[in-house]
Amino acid sequence: MRISRFNIPGLVTILVLLAGWEILVRSGAAKFDYLPAPSGILLASVSLIVSGELFSQALHTVESILIGWTAAAAIGIGLGLALGLSPLLRRWSLASFEVLRPLPAIAFLPLALLLFNFSLTTELVLMIYASVWPVFINTMGGVMGVTSRLYDVSRTLRLSRMQTLVKVIVPAAAPAIVTGCRLSMGLTLVMAIVAEMIANPHGLGYAVISELQAMQPQRMFAYVIFIGMLSIALNAGLLWVSRHILRSHRWAHADHA
Amino acid sequence: MELSRGFRRILDSVALDVFRGEFLTIVGGSGTGKTSLLRLLGGLTPASAGDIRFRGRPVNGPPEGVVVVFQDYSRALLQWRTVAANVALGLEGRLGTAALKERVARALEMVGLQHCAGDQPWQLSGGMQQRVQIARALALQPDVLMMDEPFGALDAMTKATMQDELLRVHERTGTSFVFITHDIEEAVYLGDRVVVLGGSPGRIHTTVSIGLPRPRDQIATRQSPEFLQHRLDIHAAVRESAGGDAHF
Amino acid sequence: MRRGQAINLQLVAALQYARGLLPLLLGLAIWQTFGPEKSPYFPPPSAWFDSVVFLARNGKLWPALAATVATFAAGTALACAIGFPLGLLIGRSRPLRRALGPLLEFCRGLPPPVLVPVAVLLLGYAEGLKLLVVVWVSIWPILLNTSMAIGQLDELLIDVSRTFHFNAVTTLRKIVAPAVVPAFLLGVRIAIPLAIIITLLVEMLTSVPGIGSLIVTSQRQFRPAEVYGLLVLVGILGLAVNAIFTSLERAVLKRWPPTLQ
Repeated sequence: MRISRFNIPGLVTILVLLAGWEILVRSGAAKFDYLPAPSGILLASVSLIVSGELFSQALHTVESILIGWTAAAAIGIGLGLALGLSPLLRRWSLASFEVLRPLPAIAFLPLALLLFNFSLTTELVLMIYASVWPVFINTMGGVMGVTSRLYDVSRTLRLSRMQTLVKVIVPAAAPAIVTGCRLSMGLTLVMAIVAEMIANPHGLGYAVISELQAMQPQRMFAYVIFIGMLSIALNAGLLWVSRHILRSHRWAHADHA
Repeated sequence: MELSRGFRRILDSVALDVFRGEFLTIVGGSGTGKTSLLRLLGGLTPASAGDIRFRGRPVNGPPEGVVVVFQDYSRALLQWRTVAANVALGLEGRLGTAALKERVARALEMVGLQHCAGDQPWQLSGGMQQRVQIARALALQPDVLMMDEPFGALDAMTKATMQDELLRVHERTGTSFVFITHDIEEAVYLGDRVVVLGGSPGRIHTTVSIGLPRPRDQIATRQSPEFLQHRLDIHAAVRESAGGDAHF
Repeated sequence: MRRGQAINLQLVAALQYARGLLPLLLGLAIWQTFGPEKSPYFPPPSAWFDSVVFLARNGKLWPALAATVATFAAGTALACAIGFPLGLLIGRSRPLRRALGPLLEFCRGLPPPVLVPVAVLLLGYAEGLKLLVVVWVSIWPILLNTSMAIGQLDELLIDVSRTFHFNAVTTLRKIVAPAVVPAFLLGVRIAIPLAIIITLLVEMLTSVPGIGSLIVTSQRQFRPAEVYGLLVLVGILGLAVNAIFTSLERAVLKRWPPTLQ
């Protein structure tokens, strides 16, 4: 989906809004005492970058996200493959998973705090619990959706079970698996921020809360906007990687065009 | 052999021999169990009663030397692999790299796709994709090639081209073919023998030996009086086996 | 198929599905048998139940539950009421979609929890805070889904409205709005769990009355059985909301072709 011409109206809208915001705050017309002006936020961002504070907080969050996301992907793919390939396993366990699935991960936060205290473990546990689901469900769906024709093919070509799994099933389910991993990244980020706000005093989430408590609106907004940009960057990055991995699968996208 | 699924009997007392090197075609209306018969012979479905033997040994699962080619080529190919990689699928792990490459090249050359080796299947037309599937089967150098209405999804012109190509492969390799179709003319054009499957549950109604000379020609053969007679006979047989109302 | 047969089949299907609950039930049973009654970390399920009942008895449970449900329901309803017409408006106008596109995408991409401190900063710990954040977060899936559906509206339907000489309002009312109802409902379906999560989050972060703050209090006072019990309660709440929405959706979509559901 490429925009052949640069989205001028979009850019203009944003600039107009920023200008309006600046004027609103400068003139004192808005009744929010603590609303910072864009110029103030910009200055605060620069100072945070220069002092290295932004980087160190961001590093903590990004590191936890990567660990959590990778772990969730590994667990989710494993579970998804197991339940996708084995009707027996599904029959005797899927309902248990489906009962747990609607439970919002955030409801587990106090429990995790109880068990693991204010630590990285709490953050990781929360992240992994939330992010496993999209990977698991999508992988299972992808594996179960492999057309029976491909099983016929692997049998008539007399492929071994391992060959069938590696050469036929996993590649056929790859688009679904990759999508699941992509979706889980969004959840991982959200849970990381939440955990840092409440349960682990490190990272970007914690920084936002501490700036709030220190009554530093410019710095707080700077962190907020940075988090937004991080989210966009992570998603865009993952989208690019997934397109690259699935470049041979373009036919699958063509079907859904 | 017999085949039952659930409460339905699909095939009943079918006794069939396939001879080495022959081109056997099986015709019948829809619902007569043609695909089931092919799956039985190909070892993809077990028989409910009776037995199936290949070279004297009972068939339990797809036997070595028998490969099935399916009608829905786009679902039967691994769309994410190149043409060459698709053709190589059955050979990987069984042959060394050099031998594998050689076999793949030869199989592609036999179906005329040597220039498409690096393409993805979805970039090719229907007829070409079906040829990739055939090449994939041929690469294994099978004794028997089972084909389930392989040209059913193709247009008439491509069909004719593919039929002749298949006959050429048959002549070059001496592989036996078991070819399912609902197109009576195709069955007569291609086959050494035509088996008429009919009724529900399916039974073998007749077997007709086709005495037409090889190599066959789309125009000359199809207009010869023997061809027309065979066609008539088989039409009648199909209609009879369907109990008066043939729909295919 | 006779009615009796149909019901029997449904029962059989339900029982077959229930087989999958075995691991969960087994786990709970083992926990119940071996979990020490007074464990600070793993109290048995019976203790969970007792503690929730206790909370209900001393009047803490129901107000909190009511607060959470009220906020969630009001927030979702408001998000629908605002998101649907806004989505229609934005969807109908290509230039508007282009101009607002990047802004909407940024708003959508912003992780919802981040907005809670922003709202606190701007509004203080006011009552309306919870509702506002919930509405803001829930609006995006609804708005974006609706507007996207309009963008993909079959041009044929517009031709139909022209043939009948409908004015803009009638077109909107009789043709466009009904056509995007399935997509709108899908957006609501996405928004609902988000709304629940954000409601709980706000309650946890700001101790505004609700189940979220109740759970945090239990955790701070080291009452593990309560934490587990309330967790299960939240799960049941989620299931109930889901079930209600599904039956509502089914009733509304009865007249739409199955492919769109």
